[in-house]
Amino acid sequence: MIPIEARLARKALKGDQQAFAEIVGLYQDKLYHMAFRMLGSRQEAEDVVQEAFLRVYRNLDRYDEGMKFSTWIYRIATNLCIDRLRKRKATYSLDAESTEHEGLDGYAVIPSDDRTPESEMLLSETQRIVRQAIDTLPAKYKSVMVLRYLHDLSLQEIGEVLDMPVTTVKTRVHRGREYLRKKLERKL
Amino acid sequence: MNCAQASRLMHEYFDGDLAHEDASELKAHLGGCPECRERFNDYERTEGFLHMALAAPVGRTEADRAALTDRILKSVPGRRSRRLARWLRQYPGVTVAAMLGLVLLASFIASWEQDQELVVRGSDLSQIVIEGNKVVVPEGARVDGDLIIENGEAVVVGEIRGNLTVIDGSVNMASTAKVIGEAREINQALDWIWYKLRSTVIDLAS
Ligand SMILES: [Zn+2]
Repeated sequence: MIPIEARLARKALKGDQQAFAEIVGLYQDKLYHMAFRMLGSRQEAEDVVQEAFLRVYRNLDRYDEGMKFSTWIYRIATNLCIDRLRKRKATYSLDAESTEHEGLDGYAVIPSDDRTPESEMLLSETQRIVRQAIDTLPAKYKSVMVLRYLHDLSLQEIGEVLDMPVTTVKTRVHRGREYLRKKLERKL
Repeated sequence: MNCAQASRLMHEYFDGDLAHEDASELKAHLGGCPECRERFNDYERTEGFLHMALAAPVGRTEADRAALTDRILKSVPGRRSRRLARWLRQYPGVTVAAMLGLVLLASFIASWEQDQELVVRGSDLSQIVIEGNKVVVPEGARVDGDLIIENGEAVVVGEIRGNLTVIDGSVNMASTAKVIGEAREINQALDWIWYKLRSTVIDLAS
């Protein structure tokens, strides 16, 4: 049996706009949630989701049905988020002096802007502190942690999404966990 | 088991990958090592916080969702353009060939422009008279076939049984002149193409 996404992808490839709209319906929330956790900005998360679906659409004919559709679409969206985080870091690391927040690689990490006030209000103080700690992770750790704890992906699946060996994923999860443990130990 | 080994196993445990026999060894170590026990509790707390903080709802309304869906569906190209895109991707050679052709044509024209020498081409040049940069088809003469002149002036008094093409030059027809085919002057067009090509090539190079 062909998974529903693969069937929709085939239809969309033949020009069926409704099928593509269904793919958007199935994954929009998942991608948005992930992008928002990665980028911390509503605007940027929406831009990434839009760009991700556009790439999906353009590359439907390259989708390999041997891979889970979710793996493929997460890969596209994660790469877009990582790119943005890197660009952001590149921009901000130009202003030196901000040594207060330091990520794992020793890069200065900037607090994200335009967070949505309404969703922020829902957060407890604890969540805010945890979120801030996560925000100080460099992109390559952050993406692994978001896939792991938001989407509950197995280390194997994360490896497939990020196109890296599972041993690398493991190392990153371990370091990320270790880093956050230390970071939160003092605050919570 | 030392504490570093225990720490490694703790990570395995939280990854969900801890083998059964390792689990009992870890348990034994934790039983006798308060530091590792505390560390284990910290990891457990961190795990919980991570799940909670990352998986917490993001507070999006149905309207936000609909607006983004709309934006996405509007941004994807229609059917026809995607077919062209796919075709170009299936045959990347076409794009490359077109690009290469463009570049070759540009350099060809560039060398051509520098070369102000008179060039006369045609299948029948026997009755043609050349005076300086003038190419004359004299009275009563007949050229059988096309005549192409570059960087010169065509003076046609007789007859051309074919097309006359003058590139970067001018055409001077006598009232007696007769051109069976088409008479064309293409320097204007050429300038324009050259200008367009040059800017394209410069864009590509930059
Ligand atoms: Zn110990």
